Amino acid sequence: MIKFWKKRIQNKLLTEHLTHDKTLSTLQKELKSSIAKQFASSLNIRMVDSGSCNACESECNALSNPYYNLERLGIQFVASPRHADVLLVSGVNTFNMHPHLLDAYAQMPSPKYVITIGDCPLTETSVYEDSFAIVGDVAKHLPVAHHISGCPPSPDEIIVGLLEFLKGLDKS
Amino acid sequence: MDRLLARFAQEVDTAVEIVTIYEKAGIQKELVDEEYFLSLQSTHPSSAWFERKIHDDFGLKIAKGYDNRPFWQHETMPSITAMKKSFQATSQIERSTTPQPYRYKTIKGEGVFQVSVGPIHAGIIEPGHFHFSQAGEQILHLDIRHGYKYRGIEKMCEGKSLDALFPLLSRVSGNESIAYQIALYQLKEQALKKEITPNLTHAILLELERLVHHCTDIGFIPNDAGFGAALSMASLLAEESKRILFTLTQSRFGFESIGKDIALQHKKNELQTYIDKMNSEIQWFENWIMDIPSLWDRLDTTGILTAKQALLYDTVGVVARASGLKLDRRDSSFYRHYGYALQREKKGDVAARFILRIKEIKNSLKIIENMLNDVTEYQIIEEKTYHDGEYLSYVESSIGELMMYLKLKEGVVERLFIRDPSFINWQVLHLMMPRDIIADFPLINKSCDLSYAGADL
Ligand code: SF4
Repeated sequence: MIKFWKKRIQNKLLTEHLTHDKTLSTLQKELKSSIAKQFASSLNIRMVDSGSCNACESECNALSNPYYNLERLGIQFVASPRHADVLLVSGVNTFNMHPHLLDAYAQMPSPKYVITIGDCPLTETSVYEDSFAIVGDVAKHLPVAHHISGCPPSPDEIIVGLLEFLKGLDKS
Repeated sequence: MDRLLARFAQEVDTAVEIVTIYEKAGIQKELVDEEYFLSLQSTHPSSAWFERKIHDDFGLKIAKGYDNRPFWQHETMPSITAMKKSFQATSQIERSTTPQPYRYKTIKGEGVFQVSVGPIHAGIIEPGHFHFSQAGEQILHLDIRHGYKYRGIEKMCEGKSLDALFPLLSRVSGNESIAYQIALYQLKEQALKKEITPNLTHAILLELERLVHHCTDIGFIPNDAGFGAALSMASLLAEESKRILFTLTQSRFGFESIGKDIALQHKKNELQTYIDKMNSEIQWFENWIMDIPSLWDRLDTTGILTAKQALLYDTVGVVARASGLKLDRRDSSFYRHYGYALQREKKGDVAARFILRIKEIKNSLKIIENMLNDVTEYQIIEEKTYHDGEYLSYVESSIGELMMYLKLKEGVVERLFIRDPSFINWQVLHLMMPRDIIADFPLINKSCDLSYAGADL
């Protein structure tokens, strides 16, 4: 392990976009509603792929690499919808995933929010046709609070999107 | 035994024809004049999923197969035989009110219990269902179910021109986007009656995609054995690889980059810097990780697939090569000229698949570096006169051999069949389980790193 620690010291701090920390701490001060305040210091996300190409998932996984280091902002992905504040939905909402998607939402404790990620969950931006196998438009079936667009959105765009969602919480 | 590559059906006038593609015997066709067709499952177990898909696509019954369950037609999906020409891609279908329960293959006995996992899993991963029969911690059998991501892609492609397909096929399976585009591009070259010419820009992009994928895996495999530090280190390499892809193609996954002039010849310096950095980083990573005995305790002898099993199940790609098979679509004089060497391991366990990936990373870096010297201006194909006919293309994606079959009629797609490497390899995963405990499943699954989206078109 000595090799590892040498490397760690040599690498120093790799995290980029450190301005997000500042945005978040200002945000925490500015937020008025108690729910928003609570979420701003710890947002638990459950991601559900409703029929994606897996690139959106790949970028969400990249959020935990040392360059983006999302968890330092108090935002983390959790293993169960029952632990989650936010359901992050990617993909086109296929016929076969649709019931499971609704199920996952039903399992979440309130207050709960849905965020869609990528161009797929909106039929008009998706490259997929509105085919027989696709139910489509997640917003028609779940109360979507925020959308992070892009195909796929880059890890930094995802972080910005999540912070925007937090900001928006105060208004709602 | 002749390797089975694919099996699917298509409509010819009003009849249905079963197409079977073998490595040596090539394309074999038989017209079906009954309600059923004869299964190949006793000689080629991997024909099972193909045949189950034929059943859902065309409503034909499987005769003499041991597995004739529906595939993408899930409990509440009505029988729509979607691939028949009479069915419209944009039809609206109603959820069936009399769901047909799915019959999982299980082992029963005193004390034996079932564990159902999925379709939604604990991590950030794609949906699929794993059904375990357990004796305590010991896995007795694993039944894998897919179809959750079924998007009707093959149907969506019908009636479209080849050029119109690039945006969609870029996004079938994000990890293999470049491979998909190259396979489509090769179909296009053939339909234009051009020879498939090896293209350096394409080959470099394909290797970069492999680097993203393999680097991600060499982090996630140790992570699933509880060694998170490896993920932190390897995810940096994956990130660097995505970033260089972005520099070259304006997309971190290379979406819609094939067939376009990305002017690679002007970006040689950036690529060279990337390669130098990667070479030293991967060397460091290897020296470090080989020296951690507690990790190798978990990787060694876990999830073994023997060469015999790999052969019997017609496996491809990393899984096949880690079990000792010599199987790689890049194994050609063109690639060898640029320093390609087929990488193989013998033991077929998680450790073998892990080491193989490290070896392939190094080899890919070497290939890119050698190719870089020869990159010149990119030639865009301007012609648009497509010739009707049947065409096949193969590309070695980061997972394994990707195959596409195209039938072009009056200039548009009559039938496009895509055989993702994952579709074959998923079927052999259960053979890696019986010597292991359920806690090893994520590790074994990750070592194969198959695509769910690629299996669920
Ligand atoms: S939005 Fe784009 S990247 Fe995300 S899942 Fe859909 S096709 Fe893939």
